[in-house]
Amino acid sequence: MTEARIAELVDRAFDYRGYVTLRRSDGSELVGFVYDRSAAHLDLLDESATRRTRIPLAEIADIAFTGEDAARKSQEIWERRKGKPEPRETPAHGDWADPGKVLVLVALEHELRSVARALGAARRGSVVRGRLSGGEVVALAVGVGGGARRAVAEEHPRLVVSCGYSGGLDPALRPGDLVLATTVRRAGGDALAAPESPRLAAAAALDGLRFLQGGLVCATSAAASPEDKRALARDGALAVDMESYLVAQAAGEAGVPWLALRAIVDPLDSSLPPFAREARPDYFWPALRYAFSGPRAALRLVRLGRDASRAGAALEAALRRLVPALAAAEAHR
Amino acid sequence: MAIPAGQMMAVGRYLLKQRLARRERYPLVLMLEPLFRCNLSCTGCGKIQYPVQLLRRQLSVAECVSASDECGAPIVSVAGGEPLLHPQIADIARALVDRRRFVYLCTNAILLERKLDEFEPSKYLSFSVHMDGPRAEHDHSVCREGVYDVAVKAIRAALDRGFRVTTNSTLFEGSDPERMRHFFDDMMELGVEGMMVSPGYSYEKAPDQEHFLRRERSHQLFARMLGSPKRSWSFNQSPLFLQFLMGKRDFECTPWGNPTYNIFGWQRPCYLLQDGYAKSFRELMEETDWPSYGRKSGNPRCQDCMVHCGFEPSAVRAAFESPQAMAGTVASMVTGRL
Repeated sequence: MTEARIAELVDRAFDYRGYVTLRRSDGSELVGFVYDRSAAHLDLLDESATRRTRIPLAEIADIAFTGEDAARKSQEIWERRKGKPEPRETPAHGDWADPGKVLVLVALEHELRSVARALGAARRGSVVRGRLSGGEVVALAVGVGGGARRAVAEEHPRLVVSCGYSGGLDPALRPGDLVLATTVRRAGGDALAAPESPRLAAAAALDGLRFLQGGLVCATSAAASPEDKRALARDGALAVDMESYLVAQAAGEAGVPWLALRAIVDPLDSSLPPFAREARPDYFWPALRYAFSGPRAALRLVRLGRDASRAGAALEAALRRLVPALAAAEAHR
Repeated sequence: MAIPAGQMMAVGRYLLKQRLARRERYPLVLMLEPLFRCNLSCTGCGKIQYPVQLLRRQLSVAECVSASDECGAPIVSVAGGEPLLHPQIADIARALVDRRRFVYLCTNAILLERKLDEFEPSKYLSFSVHMDGPRAEHDHSVCREGVYDVAVKAIRAALDRGFRVTTNSTLFEGSDPERMRHFFDDMMELGVEGMMVSPGYSYEKAPDQEHFLRRERSHQLFARMLGSPKRSWSFNQSPLFLQFLMGKRDFECTPWGNPTYNIFGWQRPCYLLQDGYAKSFRELMEETDWPSYGRKSGNPRCQDCMVHCGFEPSAVRAAFESPQAMAGTVASMVTGRL
């Protein structure tokens, strides 16, 4: 092909509002959008709209106009529609659906405080509503039981995050470390794999924080002693909680992607005080009673409070990063 | 005039600095397009015709801030596309406001009311609501019923919460000057801080190619529309630019005055023409063939253009370059006459 013909094709490609397929002299092909050109080269943005390539004109053998011309399409739509406006009821986001809200489910109201701080929003009973980087977030404390299914049905989220405290099963995990679940397994039962796309976006967002990715096991009662935890760790799980399986199950049934993010309060080698072995809405009075049972108990309680604070701060930091990153990932899809 | 004194002072200081530094070309307004996707398909718009993957792409907060830092213009006009479709638009606005940029967030206002919670009122932030005229004309222009009413409701809500609100109107062939005058009354009654008007640019990719204004028609239309302006009207624009629209003054385009940054880079040469992209603001300013643009260049694409992004900076610059023009500007601001 002559230089003049290539130059003409390059000009047309630059003017074209669609993808072109560019064949190089070595036979290789590139598909992309031509957004700039000069006498010596052209610049192309690939189909993912992320990778830019500069190609010398001398290397170009041919250009085919393989993608739909968005300008022509717009013209055709307008001509078909001429004089007839879109109806009043057209969705406010047009062709770009409202991304919907992120639903954060925690078991305890105490865990909800971290979410409220991350959102900079007030907690109203067992609900926190707020926004992070434009994304709507609703957080609910649904207890350990079956509140997840109802919450998912009522809130119609685009993503569900099971979030809260957890016991460490991996000896490397310390209080305040985070675990992003790759699977959640019911103790002695089946496992649910975390949807890959939000998990990868979440992992990228958490980069720089202390976190591990791996299995999470869900027990029906608190794994209070090191022995209990070691028994649960046999499957290779990193951490244990009591609610993520039910959350993942509810989200999966509704066709909504989910994540499970836990912060370690009690590591593998520590045991929980007796009052913390049962799920309660409020631990204040039982903790106070326990503190008065003796100096060792009071010391243990102080340590537990410190570890819970670390876990809460870790969750807060993680959520601040997670929600905007997931919103951006959504918009780039 | 509707531009707050503080803003005028800040822009004046900036212009003075450029004069003292003897800079020939400098930016006044950064046209920041964080995304191209829009929830409307307006008849005269040539900005959004891209493959869907590109429409999904958007600038990050960091990219927007970096573009603003690189350019240094005191005013940032956030356009698009519809900026309120950007999930982090409030963060972008906040980051620019933190840098004391005067941000005009251009929006069709369809999503404005539901997004207001995300923003904080500031003297540095103004919602510039797209309003192409009275109800029938606006809905026709945006090709959707009911948008005028939605926008008016959103403007009220924004004003109630203490936000600065302006309107921007693009005029096409067929605009009725008398009805536009009534529209100006309506907008001022609504309580907006000021209005902006401009003829539409004849985008090659816009669906409707028949209704773009030629230069002579622009003069006729704006002379009738803005002649004997009412005292109650406030325009968020230089009076010299309005006089230019009316045919009372002539300016040459200063395309570098409103440089444009979007997902492709720094757009050459201006907000309206796409002759390629520079990787940096410096490259844009230093390596663009500026003499090839503007009316005097003979470039056919520039002959009928009277759009604010090319001529508003010329008008502002003119006011600072000649005592007569400055006196004319001040007189017009005081008397309200054009």
